[in-house]
Amino acid sequence: MNKKALYLLMIFAVMMTLGTGVSYAATAEENYKFYCTQCHGPQGKGDGINVTKDMAVTPRNHASAEDMSKLSDADITNAITDGGPANSKSPLMPPFGKTLTADEIKDMVSYLRKLCNCTAK
Amino acid sequence: MVKRVTCSRVVVVSLLASAMIGFGAESSRADAAKGKGVFEAKKCGSGDCHITQGPATEKTFADQLKKKGPELWYAGSKFKKEWLEKWLQDPIVIRPIEYNSLEKKNAGNHPKLSKAEADEVAEYLMTLTSKDVEAGVIQANKNIQGKQAFEKKQACQACHQIEKTGKVVGGMVAPSLVKAGERLQGDWVYAYLKKPKVFKPVKRMPIYEGYLSDVDMKNVAALIASF
Ligand code: HEC
Ligand code: HEC
Repeated sequence: MNKKALYLLMIFAVMMTLGTGVSYAATAEENYKFYCTQCHGPQGKGDGINVTKDMAVTPRNHASAEDMSKLSDADITNAITDGGPANSKSPLMPPFGKTLTADEIKDMVSYLRKLCNCTAK
Repeated sequence: MVKRVTCSRVVVVSLLASAMIGFGAESSRADAAKGKGVFEAKKCGSGDCHITQGPATEKTFADQLKKKGPELWYAGSKFKKEWLEKWLQDPIVIRPIEYNSLEKKNAGNHPKLSKAEADEVAEYLMTLTSKDVEAGVIQANKNIQGKQAFEKKQACQACHQIEKTGKVVGGMVAPSLVKAGERLQGDWVYAYLKKPKVFKPVKRMPIYEGYLSDVDMKNVAALIASF
């Protein structure tokens, strides 16, 4: 193999490894819209399209300062990463730890704090 | 003399049999080609309706959201042929809400094919297979471990409809899994859970790698295949 081909191969390999680490969505808002609103609703009020009368537990109202201030940032991070059971809550809240990157989850926590306009009590 | 008769009879019979097998393969190849013709004539592959060319190239939400229907480039590994033949003639609703939508009810207005067209298109779709699906791994089995993983450890019914004591319950966003065993190949369901990026790199369903073990995934696939 000649040097030029080797270079091209190396560049290609670097691009591939960079490519796999990069996540799909740009912002927390976009991630929220795509993944979370289906259950938590377009305004985060817990009234998404998946919430039928047979859903045993209603999704948390992300717009409620009262509900959301009961959760620490770590609680929120854990619920998003490993699902409801991480906080002894329902598995109806699914795990997103392999779907979103750690950075995206961090951004998501800040985004939820904006939605509820609250901090942990 | 007697021996020769039997012998030639064997030859004739086996010749006939191989001719018939040959003819069978020949005619299903011909049907697949006709089916591809029907698929193209009806423009099923254009206008972002169905992608028939793999591998998946979607990288962003926009890539996924512009699609008007599910990709079919692995249809032959995913679906049961008998189900395809039936469904293409009578396309009952699978996703309670419209593809990619979060509010619009599925109007159930998928184009219908005649029986002959449906058989040919099914034959064609069955030729679109994926090397990422290993055959013969999953057998349909109503297993309690799978049910535990599906309903309790995770809650797949949050997004997928299932049948529970004769009633349809569950979420609206995902394809219904009611009677999924008639529709889907268990081996594909396992591959879909195990290799989430291969078939559908961008979707509203989370990746379960690390949250369901390999055994859980096999049990869940066997359970879904038994629906
Ligand atoms: C399949 C439906 C579903 C999806 C999708 C979903 N959630 Fe949830 N979520 C729930 C349910 C149900 C609960 C309530 C669980 C409980 O109270 O037991 C919940 C609870 C939560 C909680 C509170 C956890 C706690 O300990 O009280 C947070 C935070 C949360 N979800 C964030 C998110 C984010 C962020 C997303 C998108 C990445 C998301 N959810 C996607 C259904 C869902
Ligand atoms: C947050 C919602 C959500 C949850 C939770 C969820 N799914 Fe899905 N699932 C989807 C969506 C949406 C699709 C369709 C993706 C597409 O084709 O656009 C899907 C597709 C599928 C398919 C393919 C169906 C088909 O006909 O193409 C299978 C099988 C499946 N999910 C199994 C599961 C299992 C098993 C679980 C639980 C471990 C689960 N899902 C949890 C949303 C969900």
